[in-house]
Amino acid sequence: MIDPVTVEIIRNALTSAAEDMNAMLIRSAYTPVIYECGDCVVALLDDRHRVLGQSAGLPIFLGNLEVCTRFTEERFGRDVWRPGDVWILNDSYLGGTHLNDVTIFGPVFTGDRLAGFTATRAHWIDVGSKDPGGSMDSVNIFQEGLRLGPQKLVSGGEPVYGVLDTVRTNVRFPYPTMGDLNAMIATIEIGQRRLAELVGRFGTETLRLAAEEIFDQTERLERAVVREIPDGVYRAEGSLDNDGIDLDTPVPVRLKITVSGEDITFDVTESADQTVGPVNCGVAQAVSACRVGYKMLVSPDVPGNGGSFRPLTVEVREGSVFGAQAPAACQWYFSHLGLLIDLVAKALAPALPERVAAASHGDSMIVQCAGTDPRTGRDYVSLEATLGGWGAWAGGDGETALINNVNGSLKDMPIEVFETRFPLRVTEYGIRTDSGGAGRWRGGNGVVREYVALHDCSLSLWFERSVTPAWGLFGGAGAAPPEVVVNPGEPDERRLLKCNGLRLSEGDVVRCLTGGGGGYGPPSERDVRLLDADLLDGNVSPGHALREYTARVSPVSYS
Amino acid sequence: MGGARVSMDIGGTFTDVVVYDETDRRHRIGKYPTTPADLAAGVLEAVASVVDQPADISFLVHGTTQGLNSLLQRRGVRVLLLASAGARDVYHIARGPRTRMYDLHFSKPRPLVPRRDVAGIDGRLDASGAELEPLDERAVRTAAARYRDEGFGGIAVAYLFSHLNPVHELRTREILLEELGTEVTLSLSHETANEWREYERTSSAVVESYIGPAVRGYLARLGDELARRGMTVPLHVMQSSGGMITAESARRRPLQTLLSGPVGGTMGGVALAAAMGRPNLIYVDMGGTSFDVSVVVDGKPDVAPEVRLDGLPMLMSAVNIHTVGAGGGSVAWVEAGGLRVGPRSAGARPGPACYGNGGEQATVTDANLVLGRIEPESFAGGRVALHPEAALSAVTGFGRALGMDTLSAAEGICAVANAKMAQAIRTITVARGIEPRDFGLVAFGGAGPMHAVFLARELGIREVVVPRFPGAFSAWGMLQTEIRRDLTEPYYRLDADVDGAELADRLAGLAEQGLRALDGEGVPEAARRVEHAVDLRYAAQEYALTVPLEGADEPARPAFLQAVAARFGKLHEQRHGHANPGAPVEFVALRTTVYGDLGKPAAERLARAEGDFPRRGRPVVFDGEAVESLIVDRADLLAGHAFQGPALVLEPTATTVVPPGYAVRVDDLGSLVIEEER
Repeated sequence: MIDPVTVEIIRNALTSAAEDMNAMLIRSAYTPVIYECGDCVVALLDDRHRVLGQSAGLPIFLGNLEVCTRFTEERFGRDVWRPGDVWILNDSYLGGTHLNDVTIFGPVFTGDRLAGFTATRAHWIDVGSKDPGGSMDSVNIFQEGLRLGPQKLVSGGEPVYGVLDTVRTNVRFPYPTMGDLNAMIATIEIGQRRLAELVGRFGTETLRLAAEEIFDQTERLERAVVREIPDGVYRAEGSLDNDGIDLDTPVPVRLKITVSGEDITFDVTESADQTVGPVNCGVAQAVSACRVGYKMLVSPDVPGNGGSFRPLTVEVREGSVFGAQAPAACQWYFSHLGLLIDLVAKALAPALPERVAAASHGDSMIVQCAGTDPRTGRDYVSLEATLGGWGAWAGGDGETALINNVNGSLKDMPIEVFETRFPLRVTEYGIRTDSGGAGRWRGGNGVVREYVALHDCSLSLWFERSVTPAWGLFGGAGAAPPEVVVNPGEPDERRLLKCNGLRLSEGDVVRCLTGGGGGYGPPSERDVRLLDADLLDGNVSPGHALREYTARVSPVSYS
Repeated sequence: MGGARVSMDIGGTFTDVVVYDETDRRHRIGKYPTTPADLAAGVLEAVASVVDQPADISFLVHGTTQGLNSLLQRRGVRVLLLASAGARDVYHIARGPRTRMYDLHFSKPRPLVPRRDVAGIDGRLDASGAELEPLDERAVRTAAARYRDEGFGGIAVAYLFSHLNPVHELRTREILLEELGTEVTLSLSHETANEWREYERTSSAVVESYIGPAVRGYLARLGDELARRGMTVPLHVMQSSGGMITAESARRRPLQTLLSGPVGGTMGGVALAAAMGRPNLIYVDMGGTSFDVSVVVDGKPDVAPEVRLDGLPMLMSAVNIHTVGAGGGSVAWVEAGGLRVGPRSAGARPGPACYGNGGEQATVTDANLVLGRIEPESFAGGRVALHPEAALSAVTGFGRALGMDTLSAAEGICAVANAKMAQAIRTITVARGIEPRDFGLVAFGGAGPMHAVFLARELGIREVVVPRFPGAFSAWGMLQTEIRRDLTEPYYRLDADVDGAELADRLAGLAEQGLRALDGEGVPEAARRVEHAVDLRYAAQEYALTVPLEGADEPARPAFLQAVAARFGKLHEQRHGHANPGAPVEFVALRTTVYGDLGKPAAERLARAEGDFPRRGRPVVFDGEAVESLIVDRADLLAGHAFQGPALVLEPTATTVVPPGYAVRVDDLGSLVIEEER
């Protein structure tokens, strides 16, 4: 038996130790993708690989670090853990994501006793793929860069120079990359210190008892929600437009959820076979995405730990897009995960109508330009994710112009920063009227972002979700899909959503429109005052209002 | 009474007043209820109670929450926003981050201007500030007509690249003044925040217009009333930057007054750090409903170039104050069989159970009361009558739900609250590369001194300081500040492209502009000084660090670029744990700050103790047992007095709790210095 005060102090200390690790990583990282975009995650694990505390910069990194320590132990045996060792791993089929996501981890010893592990994963700007930073059109893992199974970076406190040198010689930007590597080592070390301090203060046994109680509390909270869901089978499916290589073949994602009492199973085995193009991920990442979808409905505010997800089982088929096998390409590992997360809410909508939301615009909507800046003579690569609309829910309209679910708290690039850095002009950046699905609660609108090339350059695009645009729920309408038009209204007008290195000439216009979010509930039930406000604010045009909300509009006032 | 230097911190419930008598060189304090309906009335009452006649006032500074309240309560005026036509939605897009990752129902911070009230105005500059398309003056006149017809209260103008070339914004103002008269409330984004990033600059201008009329009206009313009653000196206002300005200047730039109140504490911290010769201190300010942390490093306040309030960003110099918890009102509750404290607060209403206003849940204040760590009679200077039986019943009920006796539950609530606050402090310091162990902890606010020693213990901090007048420390700090004006100019280029002589000229120009601004602030020539700094970053980073320069002429000196890059590298190392020597450095902006010293009270030394102080005792609970503890009145303590815990030090605005095993001494400044006994 352990007293509730000690449990709560330890619970907070573990969460805070993870936050300290995250603060250390953000503070020490060399590259903006980590310290500005937060493309990273940290965790403290107990000696049985259970999460004691974690802090994720991106939601889809939730709960997949323990896979790395567990796998290492399974492969090499428990005796492999030695004090003063630090390990590295980035194998997509183990860690689940692309090779850019590198995991660094190490055991924590107090005396000669293994107390647990600390681990961090962060996106490296380049790992030696065929194109700098990564490719949109890789067809196997060997094109995607250096691939490391678990191995030691530091052994008994001594750097393993051979491995460090292998890393250094295989990446394009060794200086910042080695900086990030060292920041990650500092991060797991601060976690090791915190965990050792806790063992010293409370003792191994108290810490273990407290952890069990903390896990049980989390499990009780989650089971109470799962219990509310009527037993049964819930299904939802959608498709990616394509795999980025074969542009005519959609990639289906199928989710079957089975609820039985306090247990819930997510089965994605009926989804597409792994593709030639890079929209594949390892099992660990499919599990993480399912956990995100689950957490958004079941326990959005509860810090994740070893008691999280106990009611959840995930079934994945090896050889599918969710269980990639070598040598499948994995660079674009997240597009189908974003769709899967939305599908969880769709499947469970009948059971949890108050908690779910209609679908979001759904993907990163990448615009990338490269060339030589005529103002400076320097080469540049611009890379932007584009915002879109989110789905409506019971009690609220979906939000307009938000980043997609896998990108967390990423911000758009200000026009003033963009035009200063790159020889391109943003001629329009605005809210895309009418793009959100109509409903009692309206889906959020996407955006319009229009560029003009001020010199000859090349354009790459990754826009998704035209085959399965955001759907509505409970009578709410679906949203407009994304559209990209090059030179709209000109004789050489072109519509496309994905391309790799398309040549643009000076004066060419690229007009990007992102999708909205789905509506919730029948449009006929929308409060007239809300519709009035939408018309006044221009979120909905009069024509759209007449078509979608006929019963609610007096055409005179807005014609 | 001769010259009286007066400062006032106008809080939500009380106004704290500190008077420094220039004749006998002593500080006195007062506390008066704030009158939210008409803040000026309360201020005048507070002034009247400490100074015989307003003519005696030789200097007056105050912190106001007028602007902040108007923003947080969303009670500002209706603002019309004029924005570049192709980018008129930038304010509503708001850069699009999702800050609560697992929230399917996420919504952005509510904007102050609805989309219908944004007018897109044609006219475009490019990234060098050159005009691509002329300003559509007719559209501006149409907007003016709309302003008139629809009863707006303010206008904000924010065009792309106006920070590089304000020509369109300036012309817009001419037209608007022509159309609407000179009294119209108008903010131009390049004047409010002369930096790039259009969303943040627009947001700054909108907030300034939104709160402008309320702040201006208040300052005008207060100034007029004080003058009518015979005050002859100008009224000063604290700015978010930690410096002050005259009310006259604040009326032109009301945005700067937004964090006017809380910054006093940090500036008091800077003064205390200097007086004590302890340059590195962590400050905790704990009140009934808030727990704020700030740091002083190397004797300097931690000033950031950007601040976010209620989710809305503003580009202005502001002292970093981290709000990390809910203070004494944090509610204890049970979740899934576990004990939780906060983050929910009982607030001021109903407040803790012991307030007797119908609050039934146990709070941290209730727990402290049950443990005997609060004197019910003297809580908040005797202004709030406490009901110990209500606290007892709430804590007992809470304990029962967890199978704990009342005292364990009360100590448990405090222990969890302390652990959470300490962890929040640690995360803030880790993010800045600071090791809390190397710092001292200063506690103020009504509840800070009650928890300080426990926080220090959690953090491994050896020394806790409770300054004199901890309840009025923020007001005290305001007397220790200078006039301050911040000027910013964009300056974007790689270090290789910097022309040192030209840069030096631009800084000299900024200095001249700043010193000219001081003319209106009544600062004698000899008391003025100028500091220059540049915002630098490694190429490809987004956020920059502000690097001080040795003077406006430094860039013209040989080897300037190497020197400034080295200085930047050192700062980067401190802040991020590494530097990148030799990597290209980007210049982003120039920052010039002018200060004017209007005189500060000398540090007041307390008389040396010759005998002991009156001692009494009563039981207080520590570690599950009621132990006889020393009860001391702070007013009886003189420099050199020393005693050991367990003890409580009582004063009208705060109670300091000293657990067993800690020793207290009173230093020359009258601060309680608390250390663990060896």
